Amino acid sequence: MHTQARFYVLISTLVLAGLVLAMPRQSAKGQGTEATGLLTGTVYDHQEQLVADARVTLQPPGDTEPLAETRTQADGRYALSVPQSLPDQLTVRILREHFEPVVMVLDAATIQSLQAGQPVVLPDTVLARQITASFWIATLVFIGMLLLIAFGKLHNTLAALLGMSVIFAVSYLGRPISDELFIFDFRGALRYVDWNVIFLIMGMMIVIAVVERTGMFQWLAFAAYRVSRGRIWLLMLILMMVTGVASAALDNVTTMLLMTPITVQIALALGITPLALLIPEVLASNVAGISTLIGTPTNILIGSYAKLSFTDFLTNLTPGVLLAMVGLMIYTQLVYRSDLRASDAGGVSSLMMEKLAERARITEPDHLKKAGIVGAFMLILFIAGDAIHLIPAVTALMGATALLVWIQPDIEEMIEAVDWTTLVFFIGLFIVVGAVQEVGLISVIADAIGQFVGSNLLLAVIVVTWFSALLSTVIANIPFTAAMLPVVGYLTVTVPGAQSKVLFYCLSVGSAMGGNGSLIGASANMVTSGISERAGYPMSYAYFFKKGFPALLITVSLATLWLIFHFLIQNPATP
Amino acid sequence: MTDSQPKQIICAVRGGAESRDTVSRAIQLALETGARLTFLHVMDAEFLQYATIGPLSVVYNELLEMGTFAMMILRDRAQRRGVTDVDYVVREGSIRKQLFQFAVATHAEVLVVGYPTRSSGRNVFEADEMDAFVTELERDAHIQVIQVKSANAARQ
Repeated sequence: MHTQARFYVLISTLVLAGLVLAMPRQSAKGQGTEATGLLTGTVYDHQEQLVADARVTLQPPGDTEPLAETRTQADGRYALSVPQSLPDQLTVRILREHFEPVVMVLDAATIQSLQAGQPVVLPDTVLARQITASFWIATLVFIGMLLLIAFGKLHNTLAALLGMSVIFAVSYLGRPISDELFIFDFRGALRYVDWNVIFLIMGMMIVIAVVERTGMFQWLAFAAYRVSRGRIWLLMLILMMVTGVASAALDNVTTMLLMTPITVQIALALGITPLALLIPEVLASNVAGISTLIGTPTNILIGSYAKLSFTDFLTNLTPGVLLAMVGLMIYTQLVYRSDLRASDAGGVSSLMMEKLAERARITEPDHLKKAGIVGAFMLILFIAGDAIHLIPAVTALMGATALLVWIQPDIEEMIEAVDWTTLVFFIGLFIVVGAVQEVGLISVIADAIGQFVGSNLLLAVIVVTWFSALLSTVIANIPFTAAMLPVVGYLTVTVPGAQSKVLFYCLSVGSAMGGNGSLIGASANMVTSGISERAGYPMSYAYFFKKGFPALLITVSLATLWLIFHFLIQNPATP
Repeated sequence: MTDSQPKQIICAVRGGAESRDTVSRAIQLALETGARLTFLHVMDAEFLQYATIGPLSVVYNELLEMGTFAMMILRDRAQRRGVTDVDYVVREGSIRKQLFQFAVATHAEVLVVGYPTRSSGRNVFEADEMDAFVTELERDAHIQVIQVKSANAARQ
C-alpha cells in the first residue's frame, strides 16, 4: 500500500477506535419493556458477582419445550417476554456452564399477574459454582502459561497464544465428548478482553515512539551529570528522579531501555561501575511508575477494571510513591556508598565526557516541542476527562492521532513502533485469565483470601499488598495482576470499608514494587540487565536479589503505611 | 605465537571489570611487538525480547553507541599506555560468527580473548564451548588465540 494511504488508514483506525470506545453501552435494562407479560430478574454467583450469558427459560414442569427463552446480559439481568396464554403451572430454569442449574416454581399469584399482562420481577437468583473437568484444565493451562513465561521457555506472547489456543481446543473439541470439558466459546472469551486496555496501550505506544526518537532521554541523563557537577551521589539521586518521572509519564520499560545505555556511558566515563547507577535507576523506575494510570501496564489493567481515573492514582497513590522513593534514595545511597566513592579508572575522563556531550543533545527539537504540547493536552484530558466520562483509552487515541497528523512522521516507522506482539499478548492473556475466571478458580482464590481476612480491612490491606509483592518477585506481574483483579473486586465488595477501592491500590503497589524483589520480577529489570551485560557488567540474579529485595521491603512497607494512613485513618470509608 | 612477530592483534572483549586482564595482556603484547591493536566488540540484542513495549530500533542504535563508547575508552587506555597503532571495531549479530569473520577478514595473527569465569554473570561462552571455538579459530581462521584467565576463571 502507498505510504500516504497507510498513514490515512492508521489515522482512520485510531479515530474509529476512539468512537467505538466512546459509544454508550446498551444494557439489558428496558429490553422488551413494551411487551406484555414481562418476567425480569437478576442472576448473581455466590460472591455477588453478576452472571452473564446464563440461559433463562420459562416452561411448564417436566422436560418440555420452553415457552420463552433468553440470556442474561453483562449486568446479570434478564427479561423474558411471556406469551399471552399460559398454563397453570410454570417454572423458570436458569442454566449456566460451570454453575449448578436452578429451577424456580412460580406461584399462582405470579402466574396470574403474567396472564394479566403485568410485569413481574423475580427475586435475585444466586447460582452455586460447579467444579468440573474444565476447572482443572483451565487451571493447568493458566499455571503452564505462567511457568513458560517465568522460565523464559516461550516469548510472553507465544505463551499466552498457546494458552488461549489450548482453551479453545478443549472447549470446541472436548464438548462433543463431554459438556464438562467446555470452558467457553469464542464469543464468551471476547467478553473478557478489555479493549480499554488494548487501545490505551496502543495510543501510548505511538506517543512514546515519537518522544523516544527526539533524544530526550539521552539529553536528560547527561543534564543530570552536568547538574551534579561531578558529585556522584547527587548524580545518582537526579538519575533516580529523572527515571521515576519518565516512568510515571511514559512507561518504565521504555524509560529503562533508553536510559540504560547512556547511564552506562556516563558511569564508564566517571570510572565507576555502571551497576551503582543502573540498579537505583531501575528500582526507582519500578516504584515511581505506579504514581500514574499510564505509568505501568498493571496500573492500566487496574484502572480500567476498577474504574480508577488518572486523578485517582495521582491523589491516592502518588504521596505513597514519594514516601517510598525517599526511602529508596536513602537505601541506595547507603548500599552504594563505597561504589560511589570508588573510581577504578582514574576518575572523570574529560575526553570521554566531551564525546558524550556531543551525543547528548535533542535530535528532533520540533517533534519534541509538538509532543510536549500534545502531551500537555493529554494530561489535562487524563485529569479532567473523568468529569465528562472520557475514558483514558480515548484520550490516548486522540493524542496519538493529533500527534501523527501534526508531525506527519514516516508511517512505516510508526507502524513498526506499535508493539503488536504486546497487544496480542494482552488479548491472549485476557482470554486465559478469563478462562480461569469462567471455571471458578478465581472464585476459589477469592473465597480463600476472603475467609482469611474476614471483615478486617487492615488485614486485607496487608495481605493484598504483600501477597502481590512477594508473588510478583517470582511470577510475571501482568498476568498475576490480571488474575487478581476479580479477587480484589470481590474483597472490595465483601470487606467492610474496602469500598474506597483501597485494595486495588494495594494490588498496584504490590505488583509493581514487588518487581524489585528479583531480576525476573519486572520487564524493566530484564532489559536493564541485558544492556548492562552487553557492556561487560552482568547483573546476576543473586546480585539483583541482594540489592533489590531489601528495596522491596523498604518501599512496600512505606507504601503500605501510606495506604493505611490515607484510607483507614485519614479517609475511612463508611461500610 | 607465530614464528615472526605479529602485525595485527585483535582483542575481543565486552568491556567491564572482567575484561581488564584481557585488555592489559593485549596492550602489553602490542607494546612488545609493535603490532596494530584492534579492540573488537560484538553486540547481540537477543535479550530485547524481554521488552514489552519497545522502541527497538532506537534502542539498537543506543546499544551500538554504548559498545562504541566502551571501545573508545579501551583505545584511550591503550594510547595512554603507549600503543600508537590502535583502533576499535563494533559489530552486531552473533558473537561467534562475527568474531570468526573479523579474524578471517583482517588476517590478524593473534586474537586475545578472556576465559569464561565462575562469576554468577552470564559468560559469552561456557568453558567447553570456548575450547571448541578456539580450536575452530586456530584451524580455520589461522589465528593464534591467547586466552587470558583471570583469578576467577572457570578452570585453572
